[in-house]
Amino acid sequence: MSKGKIVSIHSFRGGTGKSNTTANLAAQVALTGKRVGVVDTDIQSPGIHVLFGLDETKMGKTLNDFLHDKATIREVGFPVGENTGDAEGRAQLTGKNLWLFPSSIRGREISQILKEGIDFNRLNEGLQSTISEFDLDYLFIDTHPGLNEETLLSIATSDILIIILRPDNQDLQGTSVTIDIARSLDVPHLLLMVNKALPKYDFAVIKAGIEAQFNAPVAGVLPLSFDLADNASNDLFSLKYPEHDWSKALRGVAEAILAAQ
Amino acid sequence: MPGVFDRLNKEIENKQKDGGITPLDLVELSPALRRIMKIMLRELQMTYPRLREVMDELPEAERLTPASLDEALVALTEQFWLIRIGEREKAIYKVNLKRKAGSSLANGIWSSLDQKLKK
Repeated sequence: MSKGKIVSIHSFRGGTGKSNTTANLAAQVALTGKRVGVVDTDIQSPGIHVLFGLDETKMGKTLNDFLHDKATIREVGFPVGENTGDAEGRAQLTGKNLWLFPSSIRGREISQILKEGIDFNRLNEGLQSTISEFDLDYLFIDTHPGLNEETLLSIATSDILIIILRPDNQDLQGTSVTIDIARSLDVPHLLLMVNKALPKYDFAVIKAGIEAQFNAPVAGVLPLSFDLADNASNDLFSLKYPEHDWSKALRGVAEAILAAQ
Repeated sequence: MPGVFDRLNKEIENKQKDGGITPLDLVELSPALRRIMKIMLRELQMTYPRLREVMDELPEAERLTPASLDEALVALTEQFWLIRIGEREKAIYKVNLKRKAGSSLANGIWSSLDQKLKK
């Protein structure tokens, strides 16, 4: 059996900070010496590449190329540790074993996927091959918000599913749906992460309330932060500001991932 | 003249076109069938003896008896959710996911968008 663990990061609604969280979690796990991959399966609205300093001019082969048989998965893997640039946070990843498998940000390639659909055999082969080809310990999958077929596939193949929610009634109801599906798919480890919690509330109370409501562990409650918004995805926040409350709470989630057997 | 490999490949391609499981179908499967499909999704393809070994490595409560495994494999291959190449001990099973359908929007809309994106 494959030794690498698949960690899917999901949220029922958009705007929860999913890509930011995924990138930072992957970076934190890579800093511990693990071999880590990050796949952007949000093919319709990719974004996580920005956090790793990639733009259209620097982006080489993408997941779209792999899906259309124009590239191997090895060609798609972008070695973040060799291309950290001069951003203060990302620079700490120099020499680390972290690869990004980006989705294309070219309009024509996104529209081609929407028009032609997706060969799921090929997508799944790509996801599983990243683990074997790059000898990964962890593969993080950044999913599209809400429930679609790509998301269900990544949930079904996950060892660990992290559902991000805000303390908001719309998120709470949506999370309940996702949890039901994750349980139907027998995901071995289900963790919740609360993001954008108002600092005026007691986070221990929020954690206890959500754990009781969903009967699932909350790996972290992360504060709503103007500092994070001000970072504007220019850098990996938890690496640049390790002593910030958001970063400390995020590291708690990374520890929960590493502890899941 | 096509060789054995080409013919087998063609056969697999035809079977893949015929069906396949959707991620949503996985939710509806019985626990035993889902367990097999989840293993296959991670491994992509496995020989029958290896599948038996993997089953034996599972915790006792999740393990399928050889007879139940065989029965489940028949059910999954009949639906083309797994594709079997070869017979009995020499069989290789390969997972078969259904393609996600493309948009049902009229073609004219896509070609018009293509033209605009070329600019």
